[in-house]
Amino acid sequence: MADIGYIALLLALVASLYSATAFVFGKRRNIPALVDSARNGVVAVCGLVSIAVLALLYAILTHDFQIEYVASYTARDMSLTYLLSAIWAGNDGSLLFWAWLLALFGMIVVLQRRDVGRELVPYASTIVMVTEVFFLFLLLSVANPFHKLSFLPADGRGLNPLLENPGMLFHPPNLLGGYVGFTIPFAFAMSALLTRRLGDEWIVSIRRWTLVSWLLLSIGNIIGAWWAYVELGWGGYWAWDPVENASLLPWLTGTAFLHSIMMQRRRGILKKWNMVLVIITFSLSIFGTFLTRSGILSSVHTFADTTLGPFFLVFIGVTLFSSLGLLYYRSELLNSEAEMESLVSRESTFLMNNLFLVGAAFAVFLGEIFPLISEAVRGVKITVGAPFYNQVNGPIFLAIIFLAGVCALIGWRRSSVSNLMRNFLWPLAIALVIGSALIILGVRQPYAVFAFTVCAFVLTTILYEWFRGTRARRRMRGDNYLKAFFGLLGANRPRYGGYTVHIGLVLIAIGVIGSSFYNVEKEATLLPGESMSIKNYTLTYENKDTFQTETRQVDSATLSVFNGGKLLGKIVPSKYYSVSYEQSVTEVAIRSTPAEDLYAILIGWDDAGATSFKILVNPLVSWIWIGGIVLVLGGLIAFWPERRKLPVEIRVEARETVGSVSNKKSGNGINKVRSSSEARRG
Amino acid sequence: MVRKMLGAVFVLLALLATPASAASPLTNVSQQLICQCGCNMTVANCTHQDCMSAPAMRTLIQQKLDQGLSEEQVVQYFVTEYGEQVLASPPKKGLNLVAWILPFAVIIAGAIIVYLALKKWVFQGRTSQVEVKTEAEEDDEKYRLRLEQELKQFGERGYR
Repeated sequence: MADIGYIALLLALVASLYSATAFVFGKRRNIPALVDSARNGVVAVCGLVSIAVLALLYAILTHDFQIEYVASYTARDMSLTYLLSAIWAGNDGSLLFWAWLLALFGMIVVLQRRDVGRELVPYASTIVMVTEVFFLFLLLSVANPFHKLSFLPADGRGLNPLLENPGMLFHPPNLLGGYVGFTIPFAFAMSALLTRRLGDEWIVSIRRWTLVSWLLLSIGNIIGAWWAYVELGWGGYWAWDPVENASLLPWLTGTAFLHSIMMQRRRGILKKWNMVLVIITFSLSIFGTFLTRSGILSSVHTFADTTLGPFFLVFIGVTLFSSLGLLYYRSELLNSEAEMESLVSRESTFLMNNLFLVGAAFAVFLGEIFPLISEAVRGVKITVGAPFYNQVNGPIFLAIIFLAGVCALIGWRRSSVSNLMRNFLWPLAIALVIGSALIILGVRQPYAVFAFTVCAFVLTTILYEWFRGTRARRRMRGDNYLKAFFGLLGANRPRYGGYTVHIGLVLIAIGVIGSSFYNVEKEATLLPGESMSIKNYTLTYENKDTFQTETRQVDSATLSVFNGGKLLGKIVPSKYYSVSYEQSVTEVAIRSTPAEDLYAILIGWDDAGATSFKILVNPLVSWIWIGGIVLVLGGLIAFWPERRKLPVEIRVEARETVGSVSNKKSGNGINKVRSSSEARRG
Repeated sequence: MVRKMLGAVFVLLALLATPASAASPLTNVSQQLICQCGCNMTVANCTHQDCMSAPAMRTLIQQKLDQGLSEEQVVQYFVTEYGEQVLASPPKKGLNLVAWILPFAVIIAGAIIVYLALKKWVFQGRTSQVEVKTEAEEDDEKYRLRLEQELKQFGERGYR
C-alpha cells in the first residue's frame, strides 16, 4: 500500500510539472489542445493525490505499523474517527492533506463553470500547479508519509492524548483548508498580472474563493480557541502562541483583502494595494503552514521536528520576490481610476478598516520577530508574550469593531455630516444608556466600560440598519415584517451576510472583554467534605475516585456546586495518565452559563487525601462560541451562490442582438455554459 | 485630524490601560513572568504536567511576597536572576519602546496617507464628475430609494 501511495505521489509530481508547463505553452503559442490537455493534467493530479491519501488512510485503518507515520500517530485501540483524523495529526500527513486540498481546489478551478475570468484560468492553474509541485516535492523527499520502518512494531504509539478531542477533528482541516484556499486568489492575481488583464475580472473570479478560505480560517481558529479552552486547561482560549499568531496573520490580511476588493469593484481604487494584500496573505498562509510544521518554535502545535524549514523559507522567498517583482513591472497598468465624491462616505470607513487590519497584522508580526531584533541590536534576549499583544492589539481591534458600526450608518459615495449626526443619534444614545447601565451595575474598569459601550453601539447600528431596511421594504411591497426581513437578506446576501459576520465579531468581542477583565481565580487545597467559595459560588469537595481504563489511569474529584445554598450540580475535574504516551493530562470540568463559566482544574493530591484545585470564574466566555457560530452563519449567507440565470440570459440577449456576427465564438460560450449546467443538473 | 486624535487616544489608552485585575498578588506576578520549561506560557498559565519550572517559580514568588517584597520588587528579583526574557512582555523602555509604539506610529502614518489619497481622489472625482449628487437630509423616503437602488444595482452588476 505504501508503494502505491508513493508512486501515486511521484506520478502526481510528473503530472503537475507537465500541467504547469503545458498551460504556459498552450496559452502562449495559442494551442487550445495543449491547454485542454493541461486541464486534464490537473484532474489527473487530483486523482493521483487522492489515491495517495486513500493509500495512507488504508494503511492507518489496517494498522500497517510498518509505515512509520502510522506507527507514530495511531494505535490499535483508537476509535474510527480519531483514526481518520490521524491523517492530519502529524507532519507528513498534514502536508499530504495540504497537497490533496490544493489539488482538489485546482481541479475545481479548471472545472468550474465561469462567466468571467476564463482567460485567467490557464496561468492561474500554472501557479497552483507550481505550488503543488513544491508540496509534492516535500512529500517525496523530506516529509514522506509512506516512509517504512526497518522493523514491524506490535502496536503504534497512538494519538497524542491532548489531541483526543472532537475539536481536533475539525480544527486542523479547517485551518489548513483556509491556508490552502488563499492559493487560488493569489494564483488568479498573478495570472491577471501575467496576462495584463487587470480589470475587475480577477477580482470577480476570486471573491468567493477568498470568502471560503477566510471562512475556513475563521472556523479553524475558533475551534482551535475552543480546544485550547476545554483541553489545555489553563482557563484561557488564546495564548498568543506563535502558531496561533501565524494563523491570525493571514486571517487579518485576508479580512482586509475581502474588504478592499470591494473598493476596487466599486471605485476602481486600491488596485496595487489589492495585489500587495493577496501576495502577503498567500505568503503568510505558507508561513503559517511552515511555522506549524517546521518545529522551529516550541509550542502546543509542534508535534514533530523535521528539516522542512529551509525549503519553506526558500519557497516563501521566491514567491515574495517574484510576485512583488511582477507587480512592480506591471504597476503602471494598475493606476487608480480614482473617483470619489466625499471624504465622508462608506468608502472611507473601508480604507480605515484596511489600515487597522493591516496595522494589527503588523503589530502581531512585529511581536513575533521582536525578540530576534532585540537580540541582534542589544544582545538581550526578551520575550514578547500575551500582555504585549493584548495591550497593543486590544485598542486596534476595538477601533476595527467601531468602524463596523460607523460603516453601517454611512451611505456609499457620499454622506453629509448632518445626515451622519442624524443616523448616529439613536445608536449612540442607546449605547450610552447601556454604558451607564453597566456602570450602575458595577462594571467600573474604564477600559471595559468603554469597550462594552463601543460593542453596544456597533450592535445597535447594525440592528438599526436591518430594521430600517426591513421597514422600508415592508412599506414598499406591503410584506409583513418577517417576509420583508428575509426578502432584504435575500436581495443582497453578500451585504447582509457581512453584517451578520460583524454581529458575530461583536459577540466574540463582548466575550473576550468580559473574560479578560473580570475573570476571577482561586486555588485551594481541600479535604473531602470541606468547602471553598469563589464569587457567589460555594464548592464542596465530595470525594476522589480512581479507576483504570484500557489505556489510561484516571483520577477524578467530584465537587458540588452551590450558589446561595442552592445545589446547582456537580462538576468532576480529572487527571489521567496516558499509558502509551507516558504523559499525564488534565481534564478540566466546565459549568457553562451565558453569564459565566465555572472552570475547575484538578491540580494534585497527597496521600492524606488533601486535594488541590484551581477554580476560575470566566464571565461571558460562551458569547465567544455563540459569536463564532453567528460569524460562520454570516459567512455562509455571504458565500451562498446567487441564482445563476442572469449570465446565460445576458449572453442569449447578446447573441440575439449581435446576430450572426462572431457566431462561432459566442456560440461556443453558450454551449459551454449549457453543457456544464446540464452536467450540474445530472 | 479627527483620525490623528483618535490614534493618539488609542496610544494613550494602550499605554495607560494595563488591566488591573482583582486577582491575588501571586497571580498578578505569575502573569507577568514566563515559565522556563520552554512552553512559552506565563507562569500562571503553564499547565504542562512535567513542567519543573512553573511550580518552583510560583513557590519562589510566594516566598518573596511573604518576605514583604512588593509585586514590582518580586518581578525585579526575577529579572536580575533570569534576565529580561523572563518577563512576559518587554518593559516599556529603551529599544523595546519601538515594539510598543511602532504599530501605532505605522497606523498613524498610514492614516495620513489614506487621508491624502482620499483627498486626491475626491478632488479628481469632483473635477471629472459633471453632476454631484448631494444627500443633505436623508429621510426615510430617501433611504428607501437609496436602498432600493443599491439592491437593484447589486442585481444588475453583481456583488456589492
